[in-house]
Amino acid sequence: MDTTTERPAATGRSILAGVLIGVGVAAFIDETVFHQLLHWHHFYDGSTLEAGLVSDGVFHAGGWLAIVVGLFLFADLHRRGTTVPKRVWAGGLLGWGLFQVYDGLFQHKVLGLHQIRYGVELLPYDLAWNLSGAVGAVIGAVLLFGPARPIAARP
Amino acid sequence: MHGHHDVVAGPALWPAIPVAAVALLHLAGVVRLHRRGVRWPVARSLAGGAGLALLAAALVVPRTGFVAHVAGHLLLAMAAPLLLALAAPVTLALRALPTAGRRRLLGVLRSGPVRVLTRPPVVLALELGGMYAFYLTDLFALAHAHPALMALVDLHMVLAGLLLSVVLVGRDPLPHRPGLVGSLLVLLVAAAGHDVLAKVMYARLLPAHAGSPDEIRLGAQVMYYGGTVVEVAVAVVLMATWYARTGRALARERRRAVRTATVPAARPARG
Repeated sequence: MDTTTERPAATGRSILAGVLIGVGVAAFIDETVFHQLLHWHHFYDGSTLEAGLVSDGVFHAGGWLAIVVGLFLFADLHRRGTTVPKRVWAGGLLGWGLFQVYDGLFQHKVLGLHQIRYGVELLPYDLAWNLSGAVGAVIGAVLLFGPARPIAARP
Repeated sequence: MHGHHDVVAGPALWPAIPVAAVALLHLAGVVRLHRRGVRWPVARSLAGGAGLALLAAALVVPRTGFVAHVAGHLLLAMAAPLLLALAAPVTLALRALPTAGRRRLLGVLRSGPVRVLTRPPVVLALELGGMYAFYLTDLFALAHAHPALMALVDLHMVLAGLLLSVVLVGRDPLPHRPGLVGSLLVLLVAAAGHDVLAKVMYARLLPAHAGSPDEIRLGAQVMYYGGTVVEVAVAVVLMATWYARTGRALARERRRAVRTATVPAARPARG
């Protein structure tokens, strides 16, 4: 078996598992840290559009599903020895970063779901939220390129 | 509490009768198999027992106030159906029934209406349509004024939840069960629909007359997060089933690979 080149199917699955786990982690952090622990986010703040409620419902449900599916896919890759760790990280950072930016720009701003925090100057929070997501997505995109090996092929 | 706002149903014990009847039938089936020397998995019996217990509890315990009503709804329409689907009741019935009864049951299962009812779009329409109609329209107040209507609503919620659970994670064989991706999409639509409904209830303070604004908001949040717990459980069961199935296929593949690699060399030594 050729061990120097990665098999495209396993690589695609590594990226997919990463993206799902990344989106799931972003949704999980949003829910537990910002909604439940810090109470910065509001369940509903009265300014939400109908589309915001739908988008929120889909992403709340989708986030939990994504983390469950992503972890099972990851376990499956591992038992086959076909995990490509670099691509899992690529997918994970892309998934987390893009979800964070989608949440920060589209859901918070366009659909008016809720803001990051209330009663404070929002700009620094918005910048930190969206820039961290964007940086994560860029690093993830960079990791999609260059050589990468499945774990089974490592010495 | 006063008038039609009152959600107290009184200690009605009669809904427990059909549940007890189903439990007895289930028990009779397991006993009959046991007498024949067939072991029915204990885990399935436990799932069935737990599902029926939740059903009975949700039906008999008076749902006083909106939050209790929502908790009852979560048990009736989501948690109990999940456990019942895992109990494989149809398989049990098919094995325990005498030949004539088995033929009749198979006839029903293969009939047109059952085939239509187990199609994912139909299941989703029954599940989400029923819930939206109940919580967002006057049906909620009407059902609280007329116990017979409430019993019908409860029955619809249980059956729709059961259909969804059976299609997604049921242990009974089903023609046209969606594949993994299809099942996940169905679950996503059902879960998102449930979450959106809870948020709409919170935002618009619906159902009207269900209680004080604070009660309705709390009930909506219980619905949102409680629903998520059951949805995650369904996702875990769905993925664990897939993981076990692909694991068996993988093990077969590996055995075959080992056999083809060793058999030509091993044969002369054995002979």
